[in-house]
Amino acid sequence: MMMNYKKKKAMRLKKKNFIDHLADWINWRRFVFASAMIFFLVSVLFPFYWMISSSFKSFAEIGGREPVYIPEQLRMEGYDELFDPENVYYRDFGHSILNSLKVSIPTALITVILSTLGAYAITRLQFKGKNLFLNSILLIYLFPGVLLIIPLFAMLSHLGGLLGFEVQDNLPVLIVTYLAQTLPVALYMLTNYFKTIPTEIEQAGLIDGCTHVDVLRRITLPLSIPAIVSVFIYSFMIAWNEFLYAFIFLNSRTQFTIPISINTIFNDPSPRLNVVMAASTIMTIPVLILYLALQKYIERGIVAGGVKG
Amino acid sequence: MNIKHLKLKNAMKVSSLKKKESRLAYRFIFPTALIVFGLVVFPAVYSIWISFHDVGLKNLNDVYHAPFVGFENFKNVINDFAFKFQDWKNAGAIVTSIIYSLFSTILTVFFGLIAALLLNRPFKGRGIARSIFLFPYVAPVVSVAFVWRWILDPRQSGVINDVLMRLNLIDAPRAYLSTRGLALFLVIIFESWRYFPFAMLMILARLQAIDDMLYEAAEVDGANHWQKFIYITLPELKYVLGSSFLLRLIWTFNKFDDVFLLTGGGYGTKVLPILTYEFSFKTFNFGKGAATAMILFVIVVIFMILYSKIASKSED
Repeated sequence: MMMNYKKKKAMRLKKKNFIDHLADWINWRRFVFASAMIFFLVSVLFPFYWMISSSFKSFAEIGGREPVYIPEQLRMEGYDELFDPENVYYRDFGHSILNSLKVSIPTALITVILSTLGAYAITRLQFKGKNLFLNSILLIYLFPGVLLIIPLFAMLSHLGGLLGFEVQDNLPVLIVTYLAQTLPVALYMLTNYFKTIPTEIEQAGLIDGCTHVDVLRRITLPLSIPAIVSVFIYSFMIAWNEFLYAFIFLNSRTQFTIPISINTIFNDPSPRLNVVMAASTIMTIPVLILYLALQKYIERGIVAGGVKG
Repeated sequence: MNIKHLKLKNAMKVSSLKKKESRLAYRFIFPTALIVFGLVVFPAVYSIWISFHDVGLKNLNDVYHAPFVGFENFKNVINDFAFKFQDWKNAGAIVTSIIYSLFSTILTVFFGLIAALLLNRPFKGRGIARSIFLFPYVAPVVSVAFVWRWILDPRQSGVINDVLMRLNLIDAPRAYLSTRGLALFLVIIFESWRYFPFAMLMILARLQAIDDMLYEAAEVDGANHWQKFIYITLPELKYVLGSSFLLRLIWTFNKFDDVFLLTGGGYGTKVLPILTYEFSFKTFNFGKGAATAMILFVIVVIFMILYSKIASKSED
């Protein structure tokens, strides 16, 4: 009897096709869950698919009557044009990548150094006005960037006149303004991390006659590598993605960062969208890779302080 | 006498150590404080000053001698057609800003809540789905805004036009981002697409912290899924929903890039940050721009006070 039943069941299972399986599996809860999941995945992923696939289309494909949903082959036309040294409009894109790196890497490095020092002072040293400092830093990342752009522009023009530097097209000026955006959150993230490191080893070091600088360099730093890496990446991403300040402060094509360069190419009288999408892909892919590699830390940062965006 | 002397010496030693320590601390925080206060706090205060003075391109290098004009800049802004509400077709920046940020934020938190609920229980591929959901938030705004514009392209080769025409919902291609009303609606959708992951992460963190005992107790009492959601999950999420709503409201209200890159501020999407930019860097009337920014800031401060109230309540 038992055997017979099992055989029957096995036969029934064999006869089932995909639709039957689906019908067996589905119930209301699963149906709602699956549709919502598909809705979210499609609406999140489609724009990224469209960006990357459009970057590999030829100008004929992109300018055709109907959209090409799946390009027949990967054409590098957009990328070739973007880096074509002969092309008057795009020939500076290589420069733009360099400029973006020249701004983002120093921003990230300086942010890491200054916020490490600051977080060490806040968590390990006693000083007056600590809470005031910490609270005002936290309030600062709720400040509107647009509010600051006018006085910054006026102030830096004035300072530039006094000290003899140009405000426009000056990448170091841009780095300093980015630091004002990255430092508050970086400080917050590192302070939270330093609080979780047990201080026994540090205290032992201090008793043995190490100075605070030694302790910071030899004990605290090696213990906080993951937090420091995530602060670096976070600041790098802020500087790499930033649009408004770069848009106001940069005028000459040779100094453009990637976002400003893409904006200029897109607003060309006859924009070549495969080129725009190629440039966007080049800008987006490194950010997504960095994010995926350090997801855990970046997410923690977002939840902890609400990374500005 | 001797002991007293020793104690005094010790106390002096301790206090000098303390002084040394705080001197070191000030040295450590000085660069950060200089940058943050010099480039955020001082400009913010300076902005108030500019908003009461006539500052243009002509006296930008000599701002300190700009003539004082009282509330002139504010009057000019409030009476500007780009600012004040006339009718629903010309809503003006202040009303547009409020509609835009309110609805964007409501949708952001709504989608964030749904996404968080989807990811709350374990299933195969949850980690991957979670990573993918965050893409819109971490990707550069310039590239995602331009992809959206390309998807909404007014030509027949635009994806939305093609899909709607195939479904016979429209006969001819439309220019979505240059149609009044529709443009604002799409900007709102874009904002909620880009920022729902932020709300999702905050809500998810709270969801995972809810005590399972509560649900078990409710099950014993015979509650169904819907009742559990209404009577346990929602009340537990109250503060995180409130604080993520206000945080996003503040940032959305200040947002310049997203709207500027999508529509350039045209077709009924001129929000306050864009108006500030136009007054200052298109007409070079910095005083008027700063006055607009101050109006924006006053509204933001109200949101900030509400936020700090919620934040301090949720800590209790």
